[in-house]
Amino acid sequence: FRFKDSLAEDLRGADLVISHAGAGSCLEALEKGKPLVVVINEKLMNNHQLELAKQLHRDGHVVCCNCSTLVETLQSMDLTALKPFPPGQPEKFALFLDKVVGFQ
Amino acid sequence: TGGHTTEILRLLSCLSESYSPRHYVFADSDKMSEAKICSFEKKRAETFPNSQFTLDRIPRSREVRQSWTSSVVTTLYSMLYSLPLTYKLKPDLILCNGPGTCVPVCVSALLLGLLGIKRTIIVYVESICRVETLSLSGKILYYFSDYFIVQWPNLKEKYPKSVFLGRIV
Repeated sequence: FRFKDSLAEDLRGADLVISHAGAGSCLEALEKGKPLVVVINEKLMNNHQLELAKQLHRDGHVVCCNCSTLVETLQSMDLTALKPFPPGQPEKFALFLDKVVGFQ
Repeated sequence: TGGHTTEILRLLSCLSESYSPRHYVFADSDKMSEAKICSFEKKRAETFPNSQFTLDRIPRSREVRQSWTSSVVTTLYSMLYSLPLTYKLKPDLILCNGPGTCVPVCVSALLLGLLGIKRTIIVYVESICRVETLSLSGKILYYFSDYFIVQWPNLKEKYPKSVFLGRIV
Protein backbone atom coordinates (compact mmCIF):
# COMPACT_ATOMS: atom_id res chain seq x y z
CA PHE A 1 0.00 0.00 0.00
CA ARG A 2 1.06 3.58 -0.47
CA PHE A 3 -0.39 5.39 2.52
CA LYS A 4 -2.54 4.43 5.45
CA ASP A 5 -3.93 6.64 8.17
CA SER A 6 -2.38 4.43 10.80
CA LEU A 7 0.04 1.55 10.87
CA ALA A 8 -0.97 0.57 14.38
CA GLU A 9 -2.73 -2.62 13.29
CA ASP A 10 0.05 -3.76 11.02
CA LEU A 11 2.58 -3.08 13.75
CA ARG A 12 0.63 -5.10 16.29
CA GLY A 13 0.88 -8.22 14.15
CA ALA A 14 4.51 -7.84 13.17
CA ASP A 15 7.48 -9.79 14.56
CA LEU A 16 10.07 -7.51 13.00
CA VAL A 17 9.91 -4.00 11.62
CA ILE A 18 12.22 -2.70 8.92
CA SER A 19 11.91 1.03 8.52
CA HIS A 20 13.51 4.16 7.17
CA ALA A 21 15.00 6.52 9.72
CA GLY A 22 11.97 8.77 10.11
CA ALA A 23 11.40 9.61 13.75
CA GLY A 24 7.69 8.84 13.78
CA SER A 25 8.20 5.42 12.23
CA CYS A 26 11.02 4.49 14.60
CA LEU A 27 9.26 5.63 17.74
CA GLU A 28 5.98 3.98 16.83
CA ALA A 29 7.65 0.61 16.32
CA LEU A 30 9.78 0.89 19.47
CA GLU A 31 6.86 1.87 21.65
CA LYS A 32 5.03 -1.26 20.56
CA GLY A 33 8.07 -3.25 21.65
CA LYS A 34 8.88 -4.52 18.16
CA PRO A 35 12.45 -5.28 17.14
CA LEU A 36 13.43 -2.61 14.66
CA VAL A 37 15.93 -2.50 11.82
CA VAL A 38 16.50 1.06 10.63
CA VAL A 39 17.69 1.49 7.06
CA ILE A 40 19.54 4.73 6.61
CA ASN A 41 19.60 6.39 3.22
CA GLU A 42 22.04 9.23 3.69
CA LYS A 43 21.32 10.69 0.28
CA LEU A 44 17.65 11.13 0.99
CA MET A 45 17.63 12.44 4.51
CA ASN A 46 18.44 15.70 6.21
CA ASN A 47 21.28 15.54 8.70
CA HIS A 48 18.92 16.23 11.56
CA GLN A 49 16.63 13.36 10.71
CA LEU A 50 19.50 10.95 11.25
CA GLU A 51 20.16 12.24 14.76
CA LEU A 52 17.46 10.17 16.39
CA ALA A 53 18.27 6.99 14.47
CA LYS A 54 21.94 7.28 15.39
CA GLN A 55 21.15 7.89 19.05
CA LEU A 56 18.75 4.95 19.20
CA HIS A 57 21.46 2.82 17.66
CA ARG A 58 24.06 4.08 20.16
CA ASP A 59 21.69 3.26 23.01
CA GLY A 60 21.21 -0.26 21.66
CA HIS A 61 17.51 0.02 20.83
CA VAL A 62 17.69 -0.58 17.08
CA VAL A 63 19.76 -2.37 14.47
CA CYS A 64 21.09 0.01 11.82
CA CYS A 65 22.23 -0.53 8.30
CA ASN A 66 22.04 1.08 4.88
CA CYS A 67 20.35 -0.06 1.68
CA SER A 68 23.30 -2.04 0.40
CA THR A 69 23.97 -3.86 3.68
CA LEU A 70 20.34 -4.70 4.46
CA VAL A 71 20.41 -8.33 3.34
CA GLU A 72 23.56 -9.30 5.22
CA THR A 73 22.31 -7.41 8.28
CA LEU A 74 19.06 -9.37 8.28
CA GLN A 75 21.03 -12.58 8.03
CA SER A 76 23.55 -11.86 10.76
CA MET A 77 21.74 -9.62 13.25
CA ASP A 78 21.14 -10.53 16.89
CA LEU A 79 17.78 -9.15 17.94
CA THR A 80 18.11 -10.44 21.49
CA ALA A 81 20.85 -7.88 22.06
CA LEU A 82 18.39 -5.03 21.56
CA LYS A 83 17.45 -3.11 24.69
CA PRO A 84 13.81 -2.32 25.41
CA PHE A 85 12.73 1.25 24.81
CA PRO A 86 11.09 2.73 27.91
CA PRO A 87 8.14 5.07 27.28
CA GLY A 88 8.46 8.81 27.69
CA GLN A 89 7.16 10.40 30.89
CA PRO A 90 4.78 13.28 30.27
CA GLU A 91 3.98 13.21 34.02
CA LYS A 92 7.37 14.80 34.62
CA PHE A 93 6.46 17.59 32.27
CA ALA A 94 3.12 18.12 34.03
CA LEU A 95 4.89 18.37 37.41
CA PHE A 96 7.38 20.86 36.02
CA LEU A 97 4.72 22.99 34.38
CA ASP A 98 2.59 23.05 37.54
CA LYS A 99 5.56 24.51 39.42
CA VAL A 100 6.21 27.06 36.66
CA VAL A 101 2.68 28.44 36.59
CA GLY A 102 2.14 28.12 40.33
CA PHE A 103 -0.35 25.24 40.53
CA GLN A 104 1.18 23.25 43.37
CA THR B 1 2.11 19.86 11.73
CA GLY B 2 2.17 16.05 11.96
CA GLY B 3 4.84 14.94 14.36
CA HIS B 4 4.73 18.21 16.26
CA THR B 5 1.01 17.81 16.91
CA THR B 6 1.43 14.23 18.11
CA GLU B 7 4.19 15.32 20.47
CA ILE B 8 2.35 18.29 21.88
CA LEU B 9 -0.77 16.22 22.55
CA ARG B 10 1.38 13.78 24.51
CA LEU B 11 2.77 16.68 26.51
CA LEU B 12 -0.79 17.76 27.30
CA SER B 13 -1.89 14.26 28.27
CA CYS B 14 -0.98 14.57 31.97
CA LEU B 15 -1.93 18.18 32.54
CA SER B 16 -4.60 18.91 35.12
CA GLU B 17 -7.93 20.50 34.35
CA SER B 18 -6.59 23.88 35.50
CA TYR B 19 -5.02 24.28 32.06
CA SER B 20 -8.21 25.46 30.46
CA PRO B 21 -9.39 26.77 28.06
CA ARG B 22 -6.88 25.45 25.55
CA HIS B 23 -6.35 27.38 22.33
CA TYR B 24 -4.71 25.43 19.54
CA VAL B 25 -2.99 27.49 16.87
CA PHE B 26 -1.73 25.82 13.73
CA ALA B 27 -0.91 26.44 10.09
CA ASP B 28 -3.68 26.88 7.55
CA SER B 29 -1.98 24.36 5.27
CA ASP B 30 -2.08 21.66 7.97
CA LYS B 31 -4.73 19.10 7.09
CA MET B 32 -4.20 16.50 9.76
CA SER B 33 -3.77 18.31 13.04
CA GLU B 34 -7.39 19.30 13.47
CA ALA B 35 -8.53 15.66 13.51
CA LYS B 36 -5.83 14.63 15.99
CA ILE B 37 -6.66 17.53 18.29
CA CYS B 38 -10.40 16.90 18.21
CA SER B 39 -9.85 13.23 18.91
CA PHE B 40 -7.61 14.08 21.88
CA GLU B 41 -10.07 16.60 23.28
CA LYS B 42 -12.99 14.24 22.83
CA LYS B 43 -11.21 11.61 24.88
CA ARG B 44 -10.26 14.20 27.47
CA ALA B 45 -13.87 15.30 27.80
CA GLU B 46 -14.68 11.79 29.09
CA THR B 47 -12.67 12.52 32.22
CA PHE B 48 -13.12 16.29 32.32
CA PRO B 49 -16.58 17.08 30.96
CA ASN B 50 -16.11 20.84 31.26
CA SER B 51 -13.13 20.84 28.93
CA GLN B 52 -12.96 23.85 26.67
CA PHE B 53 -10.81 24.34 23.63
CA THR B 54 -10.64 26.39 20.44
CA LEU B 55 -8.88 26.00 17.11
CA ASP B 56 -7.25 28.83 15.17
CA ARG B 57 -5.33 28.83 11.93
CA ILE B 58 -2.66 31.22 10.78
CA PRO B 59 -0.73 31.26 7.51
CA ARG B 60 2.19 28.87 7.54
CA SER B 61 5.27 30.90 8.39
CA ARG B 62 7.90 28.74 6.72
CA GLU B 63 8.15 25.73 4.40
CA VAL B 64 10.78 23.08 5.06
CA ARG B 65 14.20 24.33 3.99
CA GLN B 66 12.86 27.72 2.90
CA SER B 67 15.60 30.32 2.63
CA TRP B 68 16.39 32.67 5.52
CA THR B 69 15.39 35.91 3.83
CA SER B 70 12.10 34.68 2.42
CA SER B 71 11.33 33.07 5.80
CA VAL B 72 11.54 36.48 7.47
CA VAL B 73 9.00 37.83 4.97
CA THR B 74 6.57 34.91 5.36
CA THR B 75 6.92 35.02 9.15
CA LEU B 76 6.08 38.73 9.15
CA TYR B 77 3.04 37.93 7.03
CA SER B 78 1.96 35.30 9.55
CA MET B 79 2.32 37.93 12.27
CA LEU B 80 -0.44 39.96 10.64
CA TYR B 81 -2.64 37.10 11.82
CA SER B 82 -0.89 36.02 14.99
CA LEU B 83 -0.74 39.49 16.53
CA PRO B 84 -4.51 40.18 16.57
CA LEU B 85 -5.13 36.56 17.57
CA THR B 86 -2.72 36.71 20.51
CA TYR B 87 -4.15 40.08 21.51
CA LYS B 88 -7.64 38.60 21.48
CA LEU B 89 -6.70 35.45 23.42
CA LYS B 90 -4.26 37.09 25.86
CA PRO B 91 -2.88 33.71 26.96
CA ASP B 92 -1.34 33.24 30.40
CA LEU B 93 0.85 30.47 29.02
CA ILE B 94 2.11 29.52 25.57
CA LEU B 95 3.30 25.97 25.06
CA CYS B 96 5.03 25.27 21.78
CA ASN B 97 7.31 22.64 20.35
CA GLY B 98 8.95 23.77 17.19
CA PRO B 99 6.88 24.14 14.03
CA GLY B 100 7.50 27.46 12.25
CA THR B 101 4.01 28.49 13.35
CA CYS B 102 5.18 28.99 16.91
CA VAL B 103 7.58 31.82 16.06
CA PRO B 104 5.01 34.45 15.01
CA VAL B 105 2.78 33.48 17.94
CA CYS B 106 5.60 33.82 20.48
CA VAL B 107 6.90 37.04 18.93
CA SER B 108 3.36 38.45 19.14
CA ALA B 109 3.18 37.50 22.82
CA LEU B 110 6.58 39.07 23.49
CA LEU B 111 5.43 42.26 21.79
CA LEU B 112 2.27 42.41 23.89
CA GLY B 113 4.47 41.91 26.94
CA LEU B 114 6.78 44.76 25.95
CA LEU B 115 3.79 47.02 25.41
CA GLY B 116 2.52 46.18 28.88
CA ILE B 117 -0.69 44.65 27.51
CA LYS B 118 -0.22 41.06 28.70
CA ARG B 119 2.66 39.13 30.18
CA THR B 120 2.67 35.55 28.87
CA ILE B 121 4.88 32.70 30.09
CA ILE B 122 6.48 30.99 27.08
CA VAL B 123 7.44 27.35 27.46
CA TYR B 124 9.20 25.70 24.54
CA VAL B 125 9.75 21.95 24.33
CA GLU B 126 12.19 20.85 21.63
CA SER B 127 11.16 17.76 19.69
CA ILE B 128 12.36 14.31 20.72
CA CYS B 129 13.90 14.10 17.24
CA ARG B 130 16.41 16.76 18.16
CA VAL B 131 19.32 14.93 19.79
CA GLU B 132 22.36 16.95 18.76
CA THR B 133 21.08 20.16 17.17
CA LEU B 134 18.17 22.51 17.73
CA SER B 135 15.53 23.26 15.15
CA LEU B 136 15.46 26.78 13.71
CA SER B 137 12.50 27.69 15.93
CA GLY B 138 14.46 26.32 18.86
CA LYS B 139 17.54 28.38 18.06
CA ILE B 140 15.42 31.52 18.01
CA LEU B 141 13.21 30.79 21.00
CA TYR B 142 16.09 29.59 23.20
CA TYR B 143 16.71 33.27 23.83
CA PHE B 144 13.13 34.43 24.04
CA SER B 145 11.31 31.71 25.93
CA ASP B 146 10.91 31.64 29.70
CA TYR B 147 11.58 27.90 29.87
CA PHE B 148 13.31 25.91 27.14
CA ILE B 149 13.05 22.15 27.52
CA VAL B 150 15.26 19.62 25.73
CA GLN B 151 14.87 15.85 25.76
CA TRP B 152 18.45 14.65 25.33
CA PRO B 153 21.48 15.28 27.56
CA ASN B 154 23.66 16.38 24.62
CA LEU B 155 21.48 19.42 24.08
CA LYS B 156 21.45 20.29 27.76
CA GLU B 157 25.25 20.45 27.59
CA LYS B 158 25.25 22.62 24.48
CA TYR B 159 22.48 24.89 25.75
CA PRO B 160 23.06 25.30 29.46
CA LYS B 161 20.05 27.55 30.05
CA SER B 162 17.76 24.74 28.93
CA VAL B 163 15.84 22.38 31.19
CA PHE B 164 16.34 18.62 30.90
CA LEU B 165 13.59 16.36 32.21
CA GLY B 166 14.48 13.27 30.19
CA ARG B 167 12.11 11.97 27.53
CA ILE B 168 8.67 13.44 28.10
CA VAL B 169 6.73 12.35 25.02
